[in-house]
Amino acid sequence: MLPENWLAAVEALRADGFDYFDWLGCVDEIGRQDCFRVILVARNLAKSAEPRMLSCLLPRDDPRIDSVRGVFAGAAWHEREVAELFGVEFVGGERRRLLLDPGFEGTPLRKDEVLAARTGLNWPGAKEPGETDASPSRRRMLPPGVPDPAVWGDRDASQPASDPAEVAESAVGGRVLRRRT
Amino acid sequence: MNSPQSSHRWIRLIEPACTSCMICARECPSWCISIDSHTEPVAGLPTGARDRTRNALDRFAIDWSLCMYCGICVEECPYDALEWVGDLTKAGPSSESLVEEMAEKPSARTSS
Repeated sequence: MLPENWLAAVEALRADGFDYFDWLGCVDEIGRQDCFRVILVARNLAKSAEPRMLSCLLPRDDPRIDSVRGVFAGAAWHEREVAELFGVEFVGGERRRLLLDPGFEGTPLRKDEVLAARTGLNWPGAKEPGETDASPSRRRMLPPGVPDPAVWGDRDASQPASDPAEVAESAVGGRVLRRRT
Repeated sequence: MNSPQSSHRWIRLIEPACTSCMICARECPSWCISIDSHTEPVAGLPTGARDRTRNALDRFAIDWSLCMYCGICVEECPYDALEWVGDLTKAGPSSESLVEEMAEKPSARTSS
């Protein structure tokens, strides 16, 4: 579904009897496609029908979609949550923050979000079983949320910034694979 | 499993079950578990058998000033070497004193 059809589709869903708003959420599709997927689920309580789900893909560089709080007032809370955690703009929606501190900068649920404060700390899990200073291990491990320094952090400043998909792929945690050059 | 009143208070290491696999330290979201270990040869193998080594635990410490008592380490341990205990964690005058050493000192351990 295209973002411009979103509001009309939600109105049609409600008119079709699915007038119980269940939830609205978002998925970062990075690595598969350069998009966020906004999902809305509504139910029809009169009939024991399957809940119906609408989803809409938004481009990552300008994620913008119409607010549906005029259709389902309860969706405003879900939209505020998605807005601050993913940085999606809901046109005509409530702009106040819901969960995060007003001074917080960043979009914590985007997969290319880096836990920057952790990149400078020693992770206790970096050590291998049985590894001592006398017998260091060649295998390197990184915690979730901290990308490979070669991708983010120690990078050559003259090179262009890493692709967000590369940062997201590198920040899942686990063993550091040797990078192809 | 402890009763609901007594669980989620203190995490205990069952040292003989620990293999120093590092899984708890890696799964811990607040990075509060520190483990030191070394490899040592297994003694008493039949003659002609290939040399074997195993990991020996030197240090296992939980920093209670960082721990958020989520219990992920208890859940994740594949050897059931961590368990909930009903006692409260001890208070201390500084954040350093909240680092609790759980493994016996190698010198105090009887050689196996």
